[in-house]
Amino acid sequence: MDSLLVRAKGLYVDRQRIALATVMIVFTVTFYVFYSPGIYTLVEGIPHQIQYGSVQGIEIVYSFNTIGFFLAFSIMVFAYAVWSWAFLPSPAVSYTLGVLKGIFGPSVKIKHGIGKRFSLTLDNGVDVNITCRIKGDGPEEWFMYRLESSKFESPDLEKIALRHGMSVSDGRLVTWVSNDELHSRTLLMGNAISMASM
Amino acid sequence: MSDDDTLRSVYELVQLMSSLNDTRRSILIALAHIYPRSVSGVQLSRLIGYSGKSRSLYRGVLAHLQENKMIMIDQLTPKLYAIRINNEHPLLMLLVDMCRKYGSKSKKIYEKSLEE
Repeated sequence: MDSLLVRAKGLYVDRQRIALATVMIVFTVTFYVFYSPGIYTLVEGIPHQIQYGSVQGIEIVYSFNTIGFFLAFSIMVFAYAVWSWAFLPSPAVSYTLGVLKGIFGPSVKIKHGIGKRFSLTLDNGVDVNITCRIKGDGPEEWFMYRLESSKFESPDLEKIALRHGMSVSDGRLVTWVSNDELHSRTLLMGNAISMASM
Repeated sequence: MSDDDTLRSVYELVQLMSSLNDTRRSILIALAHIYPRSVSGVQLSRLIGYSGKSRSLYRGVLAHLQENKMIMIDQLTPKLYAIRINNEHPLLMLLVDMCRKYGSKSKKIYEKSLEE
């Protein structure tokens, strides 16, 4: 693995730990905030057959406080999910940009968008979209990339894709690539694109 | 096929193989040698000397190889899969041919690891 990616991986793991620790603290604080001021229960007039202790328990669980607490907690989880979906550690970004510029030339336009996406426009007007996923499904594969070109009309597209180790979906060349294949297979994709757009 | 076409295919095959990472490359080479046999996931991980769980091969590596039509996976029972190389792939067809013609020694080694 490239040293930039090793650093990116370390950063990612560290940040996850920090995020987990923060969530634990915030969880405790919200718990305190939501249950300390007084219970606003939802149920009125619980039948008297039930013991008084149980009634109190039900009142606490079945209350506006619980609804508020769950709302606050789900916002926390949602924020964490968005955060981990949106950002790629910066060493990994510079690695990806470096590799792409190495293949398509330093003048190629690369847009790095939110959601770990890169989109580049080649000289011949073809777009390539690259999405990165951290902790891919495979063994020891920390960064996986999904390469996807724009649509082609070429009748040989299927054959070109096969000969470059890719597949065709909806008229686009697509493939999954692990971080150590990013350079070589993006190069092949460049070849395939120039053949398909002829 | 003329010589020029064959050379071009060999060139493309070399490029394709060198673009893949270690795990994927060794899977294709091993499967090409033992063609037309198909293997299970456990056998495959033994073939390529993979120490992790064979289940983890399916999710990342094998699924992507199958997506790119380099290998075929048939589900025999819910837990047992038969994995073989795609002999209709224009470049891997050539690899299989070469392995059958010149790779009998390696084939023996691969088959020995399957026997146990």
